[in-house]
Amino acid sequence: MNSRSRYVWAYIMIAPTLLGTVLFWTWPAIYSIYLSFLKSENFGMVNHWVGLANYERLFKDKEFWQNLRNTLYYAVMFVPLTLLFSTFFAVLLNAKIRGLSAYRVIFFLPQVTMPAAAAMVWVVLFARDYGFINYLLGTHVAWISDTRFAMFALVIVGVWGAIGFNMLLILAGLQGIPRALYEAAEIDGAVRFRKFRYITLPLLTPTLFFTTVVLMIGATQIFDSIYLLIGKTNVALPAVRSLVYAYYQNSFVYYDQNYGAAIVNILLVINLILTGLQFAFQKKWVVYD
Amino acid sequence: MANNQRAGHRRSNLIIHMVLTAASIVMIIPFAWMILTSLKTVTEATQIPVNIFPSHPNLSNYAKAFEKSDFAHYYVNTVFTAFMKTVFPVIFSSMAAFAFARIRFPGRTILFFIIISVMMVPNPVFYTPQYLLMSKWGLVNTVTALWICSLVSPFAMFMLRQFFLGISKELEEAAILDGCNPFQTFRYIMLPLVKSALVAIVIIQLLWSWNELQWPLIINSSPDKLTLSSGLATLVSMFSTNYPVLMAGAFMAVIPMIVLFFLFQKRFIEGVAFSAHKG
Repeated sequence: MNSRSRYVWAYIMIAPTLLGTVLFWTWPAIYSIYLSFLKSENFGMVNHWVGLANYERLFKDKEFWQNLRNTLYYAVMFVPLTLLFSTFFAVLLNAKIRGLSAYRVIFFLPQVTMPAAAAMVWVVLFARDYGFINYLLGTHVAWISDTRFAMFALVIVGVWGAIGFNMLLILAGLQGIPRALYEAAEIDGAVRFRKFRYITLPLLTPTLFFTTVVLMIGATQIFDSIYLLIGKTNVALPAVRSLVYAYYQNSFVYYDQNYGAAIVNILLVINLILTGLQFAFQKKWVVYD
Repeated sequence: MANNQRAGHRRSNLIIHMVLTAASIVMIIPFAWMILTSLKTVTEATQIPVNIFPSHPNLSNYAKAFEKSDFAHYYVNTVFTAFMKTVFPVIFSSMAAFAFARIRFPGRTILFFIIISVMMVPNPVFYTPQYLLMSKWGLVNTVTALWICSLVSPFAMFMLRQFFLGISKELEEAAILDGCNPFQTFRYIMLPLVKSALVAIVIIQLLWSWNELQWPLIINSSPDKLTLSSGLATLVSMFSTNYPVLMAGAFMAVIPMIVLFFLFQKRFIEGVAFSAHKG
């Protein structure tokens, strides 16, 4: 078969994915930038070019800064806590113990649970008067409607949902560390903690780096749990409202799609910066052989 | 000395088991609470002090969730959407992945870059333009709108390409000598070799579309066009504090994926872990 007809086959085989991607993903991404420079009226029938006006309004909007702060605050709590717990449980599961797969399944269960359903049961668990959490802790806190605690409630739900998946990733990383290194350390008389600190942790840094990047990107897009757990009329909403929630509200509740577009474009830029920073800083802490 | 060490090992293993069991209980509490609450009456569910177990467990809340809402519609819509968002992306992605991995053709690099570059963009960026497109095509508030934008998956394509790249060249060359065209080589030689990756992707696509909330919420609002995910969100406003009915609905929404998970847990876990490593 000549190479020309191989080309033709290649083009035919990529055509559906290519056309679909351009139509449903590439074009919308570009259009979203264009939308943020417009002011639309009559449900998008009339468009005026307004340049940077939407962004100017955004930067003067106190609520935007608050939403940005909330988003970053959530990420700053959620990412390290998830990493910490996931690493801790992965290290425990890396010991040769029985029932390993049962623990793995249990920890992973939240990952397969619909966020909408999970959030509903957390609302019940967090209830002030008849909630199980206050009952257990002997407290009387309105976890999800008190501005002081709502963010913690979101972080708890987020970490609960994320441990299983990230624990698996880290466990896979741990299992890739050669046994011989530990045996050498044992001959030198190294104790458990020192083995962890000087062998396990450095060799795990590539996995931890990858996990951090993915967790960060996910954390900055928090929406589901705010929408479901906190809800539209909750007084604590301003204290937890994220950029994506604000995007949803502006675009599909207030029908200001241009302002909404500006918000998500800022989110895109933030994600690119955060990821770029992490790649720039990886030299400082990630150990590659 | 050896005995001491073994005893020490046994002791530390016991501690590990205790820590893991305690953590497992914490992880499971929400599921247990969901089931227990779904079997209670409203009074029991909001009783002070908290009582953990229902006194007369019964399934009436499950019936109520079905009777008083469009739960049956949510189910049908969700199953159908999950099916469409799995079958088409897997077929299209595996073909494209094969072509990108195994055939050299002009424009390969740039076309590949066009497809995978969208993976870096947060999903909400796409939603408004996709909504406008749906509205232009008259598809807002239709079941079609739930899946049509996800007919292709750059992510699945990227993952499968990694797999095709890892297959040795000899089998393919033999197929070409036998006169197979590239599609036949793909279909009969290469595709069976990446079966485990395909299963992983099927599972991931199913899980994603089953659980997705934001897009269904944006695109459809009439009760019979909702998915389980967006439907549960509206149940909250219908049954505001009837927690037992809400929990019955929540449990019915999660049970198919949980059953699938238990049946295929090994593949599930491998598939998701694998996807993250490659993604």
